[in-house]
Amino acid sequence: MRTNLDRRHFLGLAGLGAGAAALAACGGPSTAGTADAVDPATIDFSGVKPAASIDFWTNHPGKSQDVEKAIIDKFHAKFPDIKVNLVTAGANYEEIAQKFQTSQAAKTGLPGLVVLSDVWWFRYFSNGSIIPLDGLVKQLDIKIDDFQKSLVDDYKYDNKQWALPYGRSTPLFYYNKDHFKAAGLPDRAPATWQEFAEWAPKLKASSGAQYAYIYPALAGYAGWTLQNNLWGWGGSWSRDWDITCDSKESVAALQWAQDSIYKDGWAGVSSKEAADDFAAGLTSSTISSTGSLLGVLKAAKFNVGVGFLPGGPQVTSGVCPTGGAGLGIPSGISKEEQLAAATFLKFMTEPENTAAFSAATGYMPTRLSADMSTVLATTPQIKIAMDQLAATKVQDNARVFLPGADQEMAKSAAKILTQQGDVQATMTELKKTLEGIYTKDVKPKLKA
Amino acid sequence: MTAPLIHKSSTAPADGPDTSAPAPPVATPGRNRERRRWSGRSRKDFVVFLAMALPNLVLIGTFTYWPLINNIYYSTLDWTLGSASATVVGLQNYVTFFTGEDASKVLGTTAVFTLVTVGGSMVLGLLVALALNAKVRGTTLARSAVFAPYVLSGVGVGLVWLFIFDPGYGVLAWILRGLGQQSPQWINDPQLSLVMVIIVYVWKNLGYCAVVYLAGLQSLPRDVMEAAALDGANGIRRFLSISLPLLSPTTFFLLITTMLSSLQAFDLIRIMTPLGNGTSTLIYEAYLQAFGAYNRAGYSAAISVILFAILLIITVLQLRFVERKVHYS
Repeated sequence: MRTNLDRRHFLGLAGLGAGAAALAACGGPSTAGTADAVDPATIDFSGVKPAASIDFWTNHPGKSQDVEKAIIDKFHAKFPDIKVNLVTAGANYEEIAQKFQTSQAAKTGLPGLVVLSDVWWFRYFSNGSIIPLDGLVKQLDIKIDDFQKSLVDDYKYDNKQWALPYGRSTPLFYYNKDHFKAAGLPDRAPATWQEFAEWAPKLKASSGAQYAYIYPALAGYAGWTLQNNLWGWGGSWSRDWDITCDSKESVAALQWAQDSIYKDGWAGVSSKEAADDFAAGLTSSTISSTGSLLGVLKAAKFNVGVGFLPGGPQVTSGVCPTGGAGLGIPSGISKEEQLAAATFLKFMTEPENTAAFSAATGYMPTRLSADMSTVLATTPQIKIAMDQLAATKVQDNARVFLPGADQEMAKSAAKILTQQGDVQATMTELKKTLEGIYTKDVKPKLKA
Repeated sequence: MTAPLIHKSSTAPADGPDTSAPAPPVATPGRNRERRRWSGRSRKDFVVFLAMALPNLVLIGTFTYWPLINNIYYSTLDWTLGSASATVVGLQNYVTFFTGEDASKVLGTTAVFTLVTVGGSMVLGLLVALALNAKVRGTTLARSAVFAPYVLSGVGVGLVWLFIFDPGYGVLAWILRGLGQQSPQWINDPQLSLVMVIIVYVWKNLGYCAVVYLAGLQSLPRDVMEAAALDGANGIRRFLSISLPLLSPTTFFLLITTMLSSLQAFDLIRIMTPLGNGTSTLIYEAYLQAFGAYNRAGYSAAISVILFAILLIITVLQLRFVERKVHYS
């Protein structure tokens, strides 16, 4: 292990290192201070011919692989000159985002059309990874006015449309009708959490299930569904860009949730997927995405009931967040590919296709003119999800716009709901973290 | 690369210059003859060397050293993954890591995970090896069974153990319910998550330690053991005073390989605790920061460089200090 590092060797190594570092600086991102924003002037598609082939990156939300394939087959029949390759780009929104961001960094292998979730599209926008669709909407005559307004408006920023809704959902209250009947409870979702707190002991005593209610898995999207509790108590993760997770209302909401587990003992926390736990009979009720509806109905060996999310002591309606995914077009591909992707995007979101997608998954139809009569005849529960859309509220900025905020919220929820951590202290700590993310990663990119 | 062979050759011809004195930078007839003689052979050797080594050198250079150098450069940037632009921030990412809460949390988790998994795998592996070394029937089958988890895919192992640990309908929860107990929140509780991952990691890797230790035990000299037995040393005494010291090369080898492997453990952590809540070791934190929800590519690169430095230091320390305690005969 003797080393003979004399001056000459040292200088040689230093030179080699400096040379390598200089060479490395030739690759990777530009450090010349160029902005990420997409120049709208370059989004002109007149005279552009659609590419012959594009990739469609999806995670098949709501186990939608078969219906996606069927829609693509229909597209090929109508547009034989454009081939769409269905690519499974991940098992969930995070994995698809990981693949997309990596391809973006590598500047190669980007798809024509990509599924982007509620917490990712804004990041793609701020990185300049997606193009505004306004020009394409006009050129291809996409009927924006026929989309559900609240769903399409979710992707608007800086007076531009950055994506169109695709697998859009809200959380839904799922309950075991048999358990409710055995407990002598009405066949409906509770109007408020206080009402459910009265029902829960009866449910637990009579059902034989482990829990009367199970909170969604924290590794999933705890920050999404917990907005229901926060809003019901008059709290929130944030109001505009002010982080309010430590307000007395927010703390009271989460304290109530903690008490339902530790003090009252009728609730638990899912470890993997609350919808699966519910379908397996582990709990009498839960909250999960409308995208889980068809899966639950198929898997459950009991009568499944669904209803609106319960309200809280302060706010009884309008306590349901929207969620799910949209479709966007990357900026790092050719105009020919972008035009082909937009053609497919238009087809994918046509009323009959959104109805077919909804029928196969439980996600909400995104078009007002979608004919849902056949779908509702076989799966009437989807109507509840559609009706609830009128009572939804746009999600808190902190959850959808701050990178990593959802994970930080899930970690804090874990501390409160599985370790009986002090609610106020945990929320104060979360506020500090979220403010740090906002100041560093978001504020500099916001338009004045 | 062949030049030192020529100039440092101890078989210099008698009619060459005096090699004890500094050689003037001029060609002499003797040297020219030697160079001509060498050049034919060395050229052939060099071609063979290139044919053998170049493909590997190109691969290692492309997929190991080039990314390493790039990564060091990226660690000096404030770069959001996916963004086409970045800002040079020098050592700021390192300062942020070491002055924030991340350092103590991540380094602490890494230390606990590494020490417990390395210690657990080696101690249990040695005990299993001692059991397998006994001359009883069925040891071949037992040996295969013990080694099998090591060759299984970490993803498959992680998924199966998640079913075992699931507090709702896992096997463990079912057993505990039978005993009137509630299952701990293995997956949601950060501290228990770390315990869960450690248990599975040790289970998966102890077979490797056991097989390597078994090979070591079977190569121990019988005469020394028999002499000690004749001198009245009991089994424990023989193990502590003879077997264990003579196994030190095996222990040293396992210490290095298992420690490097633990510090780079990824698949089980990724599958069993995707959020890294309580299980975020250095390598997983680097992954989460860049490819998880945060997209802080520059910061993640800095964590990777820190991990690289730690691995380098540990290896050098082990080679310099621990190896001195090893009995090779």
